[in-house]
Amino acid sequence: MAGLATTFGSGAMTNSINEIENAEVILATGSNTTEAHPQVARRMLAAVDRGAKLIVIDPRRIRLAEFAHIHLDIRPGTDIPLLNAMMRIIIDQNLVDDLFIDMRTENYHQLRDMLYRIDLEETAKTTGVPLERIKEAARVYARARKAVICYCLGITQHISGTRNVQSLANLAMLTGNVEKEDTGVDPLRGQNNVQGACDMGALPNVFPGYQSVGNLDFREKFEAAWQVRLPEKTGLTLMEMTHCGAEGLIRGMFIMGENPMLSDPVLSKVEDTLANLEFLAVSDIFLTETAKFAHVVFPAASFAEKTGTFTNSERRVQMVRRAIDPVGHCRTDADIIMGISERMGYPMGHESPVEIMEEIAMLTPIYGGMHHDRLESGWGLQWPCWDRGHPGTPFLHKYYFTRGRGRFIAAEHDPPSELPDKEYPFLLITGRTYHHYHTGTMTRKCSLHNRECGEALLQINGGDAGRLGVRGGDILRVTSRRGVIRITAEISDVVKPGMIYTSFHFSESPINALCIDTWDPLANCPEYKVCAVKIEQGEVA
Amino acid sequence: MSDKLILKKDHLTTFLRKLSKEYQLVVPLKNCHGDTLFTVIEDLDSQPPDLVNQPQNSLKEFMLPQQEVLFTYKNSPGDYSFSPATVKPPPTIFFGVRPCDLSAVLYMDVIFLQGRTDPHYLQKRENSVLIGLNCNTSFADCFCNATRHGPFLEYGSDLQFTDLGDRFLVEAGRSRGEEIVRKWGYFFAVAAKEDRARKYQVFLEARGGFARMVHVDQAIKRLREKKVDDSVWHELSLRCQDCGGCAYLCPTCTCFTIIDRPVDNVRGERLRSWDACTFAGFTNMAGGHNPVNAATDAIRQRFMHKLCYDVKDHGRPSCVGCGRCVGICFGGTDIIRFINMACEGI
Repeated sequence: MAGLATTFGSGAMTNSINEIENAEVILATGSNTTEAHPQVARRMLAAVDRGAKLIVIDPRRIRLAEFAHIHLDIRPGTDIPLLNAMMRIIIDQNLVDDLFIDMRTENYHQLRDMLYRIDLEETAKTTGVPLERIKEAARVYARARKAVICYCLGITQHISGTRNVQSLANLAMLTGNVEKEDTGVDPLRGQNNVQGACDMGALPNVFPGYQSVGNLDFREKFEAAWQVRLPEKTGLTLMEMTHCGAEGLIRGMFIMGENPMLSDPVLSKVEDTLANLEFLAVSDIFLTETAKFAHVVFPAASFAEKTGTFTNSERRVQMVRRAIDPVGHCRTDADIIMGISERMGYPMGHESPVEIMEEIAMLTPIYGGMHHDRLESGWGLQWPCWDRGHPGTPFLHKYYFTRGRGRFIAAEHDPPSELPDKEYPFLLITGRTYHHYHTGTMTRKCSLHNRECGEALLQINGGDAGRLGVRGGDILRVTSRRGVIRITAEISDVVKPGMIYTSFHFSESPINALCIDTWDPLANCPEYKVCAVKIEQGEVA
Repeated sequence: MSDKLILKKDHLTTFLRKLSKEYQLVVPLKNCHGDTLFTVIEDLDSQPPDLVNQPQNSLKEFMLPQQEVLFTYKNSPGDYSFSPATVKPPPTIFFGVRPCDLSAVLYMDVIFLQGRTDPHYLQKRENSVLIGLNCNTSFADCFCNATRHGPFLEYGSDLQFTDLGDRFLVEAGRSRGEEIVRKWGYFFAVAAKEDRARKYQVFLEARGGFARMVHVDQAIKRLREKKVDDSVWHELSLRCQDCGGCAYLCPTCTCFTIIDRPVDNVRGERLRSWDACTFAGFTNMAGGHNPVNAATDAIRQRFMHKLCYDVKDHGRPSCVGCGRCVGICFGGTDIIRFINMACEGI
């Protein structure tokens, strides 16, 4: 979010998902697309069928890498050196789009000066990828007329997450690969409505539509509409809240549809926080690990029981309609919020989702033309959609960047905060599997999903496994400086020697108990992707 | 098929209305989102059947529902008992069933009624009357001409309709169809010689009008001769995104899994639910071993079953050529792609 917002001015996919199919080059980095975004992966495969070149940057040999023309299997956390090397090669080989840089961007000299200082051989060594292959990737990307970069949490969940994204933006601007159809930088969102949640101001520093809390004009606008005084200070980020500890500033929390007791790093710290709150209310469709700490639990309605909109990765706002009435005593999210608000002395009085959408359209310029009657037919609308007559925006930054000029922000290598050493010799990467969704609140209730994938498996390279005497199916004890878990081994060539990989869906093997609690200082996104662990055979004592 | 009769198109709604007084009526209907689905029709006046578009679901949804309770159980101290599921389907007429979907029901009859009889299927099948509609034009992904299940049905329906413009040519295939024709005889006139000739004409046009050329016979032959290269399976398995859409939409995919679902602390139900051979868990053994390598062979069973084993066992491929899997597949591993790859280089 912060990465693209600072460079382009808008933290969302610049393209539509369909456009990926027409790209000439696709650079997929930090994205296990076939497992996490199959509908995006299908477009990538379709593009490859049509002759597009696919470059995959991922430490693991993921399934998408099988289709890649170039697979750059970097050491985890060396994205910036890799991208810097690519950019330096592009400058050296004169594949830079000078006109684009002149007309549309600023601060180029900072990037160029930094790139001239780097030593290519040295940088390639840092990434673990042969320089020749980096050169090839750089040439292929830079020469394309239409190139798309797709990235996901493998880029952002590092202490250098924001700068990783900025480096991708640099690469795109350097070669003029923005502003056009089928060309751009696309963060793939992990949930059906995470884009919508951000759009609606579920961030500590902005009102709906990314209107800054610090800006007096915006504040006055919302104060007038809502008839309340609004705080001038920005709020706290997730990690500041769930890791604030027993003596933290926070006394009460209301958690909706989130399960930090499984999803946040260093679960012991989260537990410490939640257990010591004076009051905790949790709203979810099933009783989660987090809800077990709650004083009050609200049974929330599922997607099939409510009417409203979801905003997907490509900024597309689509209707969801109530198919069945809420089961039992469940209530919709809006109902729960308005009910609480009313009892706290602020009746909102919205009678229907249509009315709420009308308020959104009135106060949120990018949603200005989004009304239920327009969204009901067809496939929804993509923001920005300024007014009722606006057809929506399939791709961003045509003619000018949202922030005016695209800004180059140079970044240098910032190694992960904890790398393997003698005591903890393995590098742990975490991610997701195809069959489960996030903390499994829903998917783990489904028997077929559990049959397909019923437990967390720790991918370990055959060489390492042989050395440790580990066989597939063995129970392992994985320990980091922060915790220990029990997990089943799976021998796999997807991971390289020295690396292990697993998912965080399973409360029986809560991998986030091991993850490190350092985070990107700009976006406060935790470093889930790299930490050091050791492996032993046998049960946890 | 026996006598050939004529039903005027103007009288179709009236005819269906008469039928609906004695039967539950299932027809292709366009819903409010523009999707055509086989649906129980409630109101003939506001919603005429959609006989133009291909229904997205097939009759499998009715004969073998996505989830079906087989029995319920009770397990309390001193009382451990089972009771059969009590839902009895009403007599149902399926109208507007295309030859592919009708052939699929005939295939399901073989699976569920030959040898050991499946009582749940039998109950629904016994209660159903199938009124077929021959295809004058093919849909976008159809290739039933290549699987020899269409575009006109030769046998198997209770009544078979052919669209002749302003009228339907109606043929009674089985006794239930004859009963209907007898009972509502005043709707029908005996077909003239020209009508019969017209039907043959329409058939010839339909047979020649397929948008896709799919060499099903060649693929069957190459599978039988084991000439399909391993790399074909590998590439398709790699591309398969494991969504199961092909098996769920396929009118002849009848594999199911068994699930026990507790209702409360004492009672529960056992149900069967659609499954797919492309899922890794489908072949997983109790000890964790899986004889099928998902990464390289996930879809081998699917195509072998459709185009090889069933040809051996029943003389015909169990792919009816409806093309639904082609439309739903987003990995690009549908049966047409497979057939094309299998036949490459011939």
